[in-house]
This record gives sequence, structure tokens and C-alpha cells, in this order.
Amino acid sequence: MKIEVIEKDDQYILNHCTKYLARESRDARHDFGQYAPGDERAAICEAWRFPVVDAHWDGSSAAGSYPYNDVTFVYDGRRTAPASVAVLGTFGPLHSPVPLRPLVFAGEPTGFFATTVRVPKGQVHTYKFAVDGDYTLDPVNPQRTVLDNGEPWSRFFTDACTVPLSLSRTERDLLGRLVCHLLPFRLDENRRLIRGVYESLDRASRDEEFPLAYLLDDEVGTVNYIDKLIARQEQHHADDYHTCLKIIGEIIRSRFGGLDPAAAPAELYADLYRQMETEKVDGWDYSRYGSPRFFLLLLRRHAMTGAFVHPKHGGNSGAAGWMYLESRFRDARDGTLFDWRRALESPLGHNTDYRG
Amino acid sequence: MDGESAEVVVIGSGAGGAPLTHTLVRAGHRVVVLEKGPLLRTQAQSPTGLSDFKRDECFATGSEKRITVQGVANTGESYFSSHVEPDLNDEPHVYRDSDGRDRVTIEGYTAQVVGGGTQLYGGVSPRFTPEDLRLATLNASRGDLRDDPGGEVRREARDWPLDYAALEPYYTKAEELVGINGTWDGQAKVPSRDRYQPPLEPNPISAYAAAGMDALGMRRYRTPLAVITRDHAPSGRTVPADTDTVKTAFVNRYGDPLGLKSNAWVSLLAPLRDVNGSGGLDLRANCTVTHLEADGPRVTKVHYRDPGGRPRTLAAGTVVVACSAIESVRLLQLSGLLDPAFDKRVNANGLLGRYFLTHCFGGAQCIVPERSDKSKTLDSDWATDHCARPEWFRAQGLWAGGVIYNNTSDGALPLSLARTWHAMDMDTMWKGYLYDTSLVGNGFEDYLEESFGRRLSVAFMANQVPQRENRIELHPSVKDKWGRPVAYIIKTWHPHDRALMDALAEQCRQILVRGGDVRDVSSGSVGGSVVRIANHVLGGARFGTNAGDSVLDPDCRAWNFDNLYVTDGAFMPTSGSANPTLTIEANSFRVGDVLLDRVGRP
Ligand SMILES: Cc1cc2nc3c(=O)[nH]c(=O)nc-3n(C[C@H](O)[C@H](O)[C@H](O)COP(=O)(O)OP(=O)(O)OC[C@H]3O[C@@H](n4cnc5c(N)ncnc54)[C@H](O)[C@@H]3O)c2cc1C
Repeated sequence: MKIEVIEKDDQYILNHCTKYLARESRDARHDFGQYAPGDERAAICEAWRFPVVDAHWDGSSAAGSYPYNDVTFVYDGRRTAPASVAVLGTFGPLHSPVPLRPLVFAGEPTGFFATTVRVPKGQVHTYKFAVDGDYTLDPVNPQRTVLDNGEPWSRFFTDACTVPLSLSRTERDLLGRLVCHLLPFRLDENRRLIRGVYESLDRASRDEEFPLAYLLDDEVGTVNYIDKLIARQEQHHADDYHTCLKIIGEIIRSRFGGLDPAAAPAELYADLYRQMETEKVDGWDYSRYGSPRFFLLLLRRHAMTGAFVHPKHGGNSGAAGWMYLESRFRDARDGTLFDWRRALESPLGHNTDYRG
Repeated sequence: MDGESAEVVVIGSGAGGAPLTHTLVRAGHRVVVLEKGPLLRTQAQSPTGLSDFKRDECFATGSEKRITVQGVANTGESYFSSHVEPDLNDEPHVYRDSDGRDRVTIEGYTAQVVGGGTQLYGGVSPRFTPEDLRLATLNASRGDLRDDPGGEVRREARDWPLDYAALEPYYTKAEELVGINGTWDGQAKVPSRDRYQPPLEPNPISAYAAAGMDALGMRRYRTPLAVITRDHAPSGRTVPADTDTVKTAFVNRYGDPLGLKSNAWVSLLAPLRDVNGSGGLDLRANCTVTHLEADGPRVTKVHYRDPGGRPRTLAAGTVVVACSAIESVRLLQLSGLLDPAFDKRVNANGLLGRYFLTHCFGGAQCIVPERSDKSKTLDSDWATDHCARPEWFRAQGLWAGGVIYNNTSDGALPLSLARTWHAMDMDTMWKGYLYDTSLVGNGFEDYLEESFGRRLSVAFMANQVPQRENRIELHPSVKDKWGRPVAYIIKTWHPHDRALMDALAEQCRQILVRGGDVRDVSSGSVGGSVVRIANHVLGGARFGTNAGDSVLDPDCRAWNFDNLYVTDGAFMPTSGSANPTLTIEANSFRVGDVLLDRVGRP
């Protein structure tokens, strides 16, 4: 496996550093519940932005560029001033760390180090920094994972990733049922419509336009979107999901005669929603989670976003949410009234001026 | 590099900072621009061929964060911001709400990026009217003003220290160099030269607004928009082969990856990169100015934090502050906090931060019978100056008027439709949708059926009465991530503002009612909310001819300083009957000529 290092100028990288990392305050201004007390990352703004995952452009073609991301690793050496920093990770050969170069402002080193590598979309990787030869976790990135040998590593994932990271199989199945009820796709007519859209795609266009669509179901990738969101930007909501999915699973199971909640009829979910709205849910363990309504609102925001977000965020799988709107709303001559492909980058959309 | 010096230092690269920089660099001078935000480039500018702005709804309104600022009433609440708005926990603005309690807000920020607020703006770019600049004279003998028992409106109205004729050449210059499309026929303002590019075809949904304006006898024109529709020679920008694809609905709150939206960076600063008179443009992004240092009447040094946060200084011959009004006032106040002599000069009459202004604004919305593809739009199609004319506002017992235009990109894309549903301001983003728990299953279907491509709104933008008590201060306890007091916004609406907003909201409502077979018409304004600023951050360092009554002289120079200028929206003594940016730019071009007299013409 050869690593492709991408040239980015210092301006690009500093653009991603100053707002988030430069500061005098060490207060936990950015702790929304995702950090243990005393964790220094709580002082950093939007620490989840590191490493920076961005689009890739190979200089010539959308088709050749679309399957990749540029991933920029940043090491903040302002306080310790290391002589050398490198990154070692599963995105490249494990025996050859990629060196980070010092970033310069007005001819002087800033203390930041960085490098950018090309990584395929849809992947999850672990990495560590080698700082003056010593291996350390990324002190900024909140994503960490413990490998089978008990070793903690820093982690990142690229766009349109469908590898489950936060939620268990059971949690995902239950969540799928929950979000289906919130979205319009579950209605028979719409379900047919979405199926139809997919089936009408021939093999080639499915590969070309939606190379990353992985499965079609009624929740159009919303569960995957949430799985990724609580792994990164909204890590502070991960516990809301674990706790509430457990409680809800228990409630539905008990209301469904002890059977698998994922197989329960839609009405049971509808009833549950109505109760959650009022904060009075029979059987809810309020000592474990105080406000079922809070969770409902969270779920609704995430479900809406996951269904119609740009597919690179892991939801709106295969742009099915957009295709639903595209086919749902037509003018008198059967032209679409949501021509989303026009503005968006090829090969996802049809625009070749804009590269994404 | 400390011990560095520069002939001219401009702080802030937005609408107030870029035009004069353009003038000076074109004339062969070296200008250092210190800009707090990043330098985000278009696809064509970027060495990698990829823009830092994306057509991605998550860029305009990102993931959830929570307010952790202590000692305010909204600690713990969620908020959502764009990637170029400052982080509220690091650099909050605090306002005093009508219940007397302090809250953190995202209102009152424009955008922190090279180009400033113009990177995110909708680009609605009308001129102010001649009357806007002489509201004191115009109202001097009025006894018929509504809801003004104390006579404040007449007392507080101010003429600008220059008239429309003096500003006119700079409007024309701004229209030409910035790159604006629109039409003149039907406007209440007359240009000396027509520099507009032709507009694109309006979105079909705008036909309802046009019909309503016609039915009411309101002359209409194509809303001037800061988006190029043809190749633009002054900035070297070119448009796509199919110009209709310029309309994407990724306009308001989105940076433009192709640079077709005419922001201060692509229009005015980027073209200077090749100009190298005696050094040309020295643009330093990610550099936050912390305070100014003076020796008597001369500002001598600019103190700033470099991209890594290291403190640096720059000795300066002339200093221009253009951080957008709230932050400019704050920068001057922070400088005064560190040096009482500075404070005494900049705030001799106690007016610094006073007469803070935004716009009276509001409008009406409805559901139209026929659906349109709203993803094919810029920010607006039709505007009318009907209610900006003195005949109209006099007859209404109002002191001033406002422009009315229809919005086209609002709720045009699926996520923006949801998150702005019943959202009153930036701070309530998502909340309307979330609390409307009927929007599930079939309810969701109905909601899409009624809303997607069928919501039409018409907005007005009008003068706010200047009030001394509307002000920017340093907050007594809340500090930013550098340990500096944050801006504290204290403002209310005058009863006359409310009367004016009601009258204009009613006109907007009428436009929709008369526009066709529409339904669910509602109207309203920001009169009930003290936090709304509409991204129009004005006043607080007004200019004038009387040193006892203003912070800046007619050249926008601080009265008791020899070399300190303020050129963002802070200079305005009244807020005008239209969106402010073109006027900020025109004035900055004017000050650019003043500065040329100082530093030398070529
Ligand atoms: C979403 C949105 C839509 C808008 N739509 C319209 C519209 O349609 N029409 C219209 O006329 N106006 C619109 N506006 C308003 C418009 O953006 C502003 O009027 C305009 O940008 C104000 O110019 P300014 O020079 O005062 O500030 P800005 O253009 O914001 O420039 C200020 C600059 O100073 C920088 N700065 C701040 N503090 C410091 C510091 N301490 N050191 C260094 N740099 C600093 C900031 O980062 C910023 O780049 C909109 C704004 C937004 C956000």
C-alpha cells in the first residue's frame, strides 16, 4: 500500500487551526458532556474537526477524484516544540510513518505541524503520532478506540462511511424503526416511489452516480448518519442514544409480549411517540433518563438531517432522500421541481463546474 | 518580524475594509490587512483546485453545540452556527433581553473570514435614497409622527455629513468594481451611470410577488444582487457557460465555491494579488487584533495575535478599523481599557458605542398554489421603493421609509426549510421544527406538500430610530478565549419603530394577498424581539460635522486622533432604507480617496 501525500499550502492548514486551537483560556468551554473531568480537549473548540477530512481533486477528473478524501493531520507543538513529528496509521504501511512538516507564518514557525494524505472514502482508520520518536495519541481528536490488544489508538473515518462505529446491531435495528416513523418514506406510496427510483437505475448508473450507496431501506441511511454524528460532531449525545434506546427497547418489548421490539407493529411506535411528547411514558425509567421528550426532539432533528443531508455525511444514502423529493414534486409537464443534481458536484450530481 | 511597520494597516477585510484597501493598493501603496478569519478560497484560486466553501447545507448551519458561558440566562442551551461564525463559547456576544437578563447570542456577528459578512450575505444591494441621508432636515418641522409623544424621533434624527450627490460617484464605483446585477427602471434612486450586469430569469414563484406589487401600483425593479451574471472584467472573474446554473439557492449564509457571489474578497482584494506597487497587498489571515496603542493623537502600534496565537505588534502610519460595528467599537473600548489616555481621546463625549443601530425589519409570508423549484434561485427577484418614497412615509405619519423585496432562497433546500421553520432568529434555529411535533409520518407529508417550493415571503428593510441608550459596551464579567471582555449589546425598539414596522409589514402582507390565490398569509416584524439584528450591524461610532455629537469626523476619522479611521457599518448615524453593504462599500471607497490625499496619489 503506497501512501499518496497531497500538497496543501500552509494557508489551507492554518485556516483549519487558528479558530479551533489558538487560545489562552484553558477552561472547559467546549465540554458538552462528552469528556471526562479534567480532559484537556474540553478547552479546544470543535476538536472533532481533527484530522481534517476534505474533498479530493486529482487535477483532472471527477470520476477519478470522487472515491477519495484528503485527510490532513495536525499536531500542535506550540508548547513542547518537538524536533520531529510523524503520523503512523492503518491508512498506510505500518512500518513507515509519514512526516509532518512545520507550518510557517510570515517566515517563522508557528509550532503547528501537518501533512495531508489521500485516503479512500468509506473507511475507518486508527493512527498515532510519533513525536520525537515517541508514539502518542492525537491529543486533540476526541475519537479514540481500543484495539483488541487493549491499546488505545486515535481514530478517524472518511466520507460516506458505513462501518458502524457507535451503535450496536440491536441499537441500530431499533433506531431504524424509530426514525422510519418520523420520516415520510415509510408510507406505502412513498416506499414504492423510492424503490421505483432505485430499481429504475441501471447497473452502470448505480455504479457511477452512487458508488457509495450501500443499501436501501426505509430510513435511507439515517441510522448510519446518526451513528457517525455521535461518533464525531455530536459525541456528547452518544449516551442519550445508548440510554434511551435501551429504555425504549425494554418498553416496546414489554408492550409486545416479550418479543423482538424491531418486529413490533408501527402503532406501538406511534403510541410511544405520543407519550414521549408529553413526557409521560408508561414504564419509562426516569431515574435513568429524565426527559423522553428531549430525546424525541433530538431524534427528530437527527432524522430530518440524516434523510436529506449531503450523502458524504453518511445519511441520505445514495441521495434517496433527494430523489424522493425529486420524483415527488413534478410540474405539469412532469419535470421535476427539485432539480438538486444541477448544483451538485459530478458524479453525485450533474454539475461539472463545481467539484465538491 | 516584530519591529515591523506599515504605512497603512487595515483591520478587517470585509465591506468596510476591502474597498479602501483596493483604492490604496491600486494607487501603488502597501497595505497590511489583518483579518481574524481564515482565507477561504474559491475553486479557481485554490492551489488544489477545490474550494473551502461547499454546497452542503451543513456548512451554513452546523452540528449542535451548547452554550457553556456562565452567568447568563441561556447557559446549557443548544445553538447552531456556520463554519465561519465565531464560536460562541470562545467569543460570545451577550445581549440584555427584555426580561432584563443577559443571554449569549449569535446575532450581531457577520462572518469571520477574509471578505467578512459579504462571504455569507444574500447580496441584496440597493442604494440608500437621498432622503435617508437627511432625515433630520426632512423631519424638522413634522408634528404628525406616530407614537412619538416625547418627540425623540425628531430630536434624534441626524443628517449625514454628506449628501447623496457626494456619495453617488462612489456608489457607481462600488457597483462596477463589486459586480452587481439588477435593473434601474422603477428605482427611486437615479445612477449617474448604469454599471449593473443583466439579471437572470426570475424564479416562477416570484411572479406572485410581482403581481401583488403591480396590483398595488408599486413600481418594481429586479432586486440588485451582488452576484455576477456575466464575465466581470474588473475582478477577472468568469461565469459558467450556462449562466442559469449560477442560481443554486446556496446563497444566503453560504460562501460561494465558484466566487460568483461578489464578496469583498473575490471582487476587491483577490485582484490585488498581482499588483505590486511598493509592496501591494499584504493580507494576513487568521490574525486577530487585540488592541491599539497610541501616543497622544497618533495611533502608533497595532497589537495582534498571529495564527498560532502569539502576540505580535505592527507599527502603523495610518490605522483603519473595519471589524464590523460591534467588534470595532469593542476593539476601541478594549484599547481604552488598557490606556485611559486612549479612552479619553476616542470617547471624549461618551458617544463611543452609543446610537448602535440595526434595521427595522420584518415582512409577510404565505403558501402559493403553484409549486416552483426554489433550488434555482439567488436571494431575491423583485424589489420596490414604493415605501421608501417621502410621499409614502409622510402620509403614514412615519419619519422614514424602507425597501421591500421578495425572498427566494429561504427554505429552498430541505434542511433549511426544516431548521428555519418558525425560527425567529439565529438563536432559535431548528427549534420551531422540533417543537412542532405533528411533523411525523403523515404530518410530515402534509408539511412537505404545503411547504416545499410553495412558501413565499416578502421582506422590508427600514430605518431604525437612533437612540442613545441603544449601545455596545464591554460586558462586566464574560470574557473571550483571550481573557478580554466581550461585547455587550443593549438595545430596544422605539415605539415609532414598532409603528413603522407594523405599517411596512402590512404592505408586505398586502403584496401577497393581492398576488394571487395564496393562503395562510401571515406577517410580522422584529418589533417584539430585542435580539434581532438581521446581520446588519451599524452605528456605535457615528460620523458627523459636530465633534460633540459624533465619534468620527466626516472623513470617518476619530475626532481626537490624527491617523485613526473607522469604516465599517459603525459610521452610520441612521441605518438607511435598504440593506447596508453597498453603502458601507461606497463610503469605504470615498474614505479611500481621503486616504490617498494623506499617503499620496500616484
Ligand atoms: C447571512 C447574512 C446575509 C446577509 N445578507 C445581506 C444582504 O443581502 N445585503 C446586505 O446589504 N447585507 C447583508 N448582510 C450584511 C453584510 O454582510 C454586512 O452588512 C457587511 O458585511 C458589513 O460590513 P463590515 O465591514 O461592517 O463588516 P464585515 O464585512 O463583517 O467585516 C468585518 C471583518 O472584520 C474581521 N474582524 C473582526 N474583528 C477583528 C479583529 N479583532 N481583528 C481582525 N479582524 C477582525 C471579521 O472577521 C470580518 O472579516 C448579510 C450578512 C449575513 C451574515
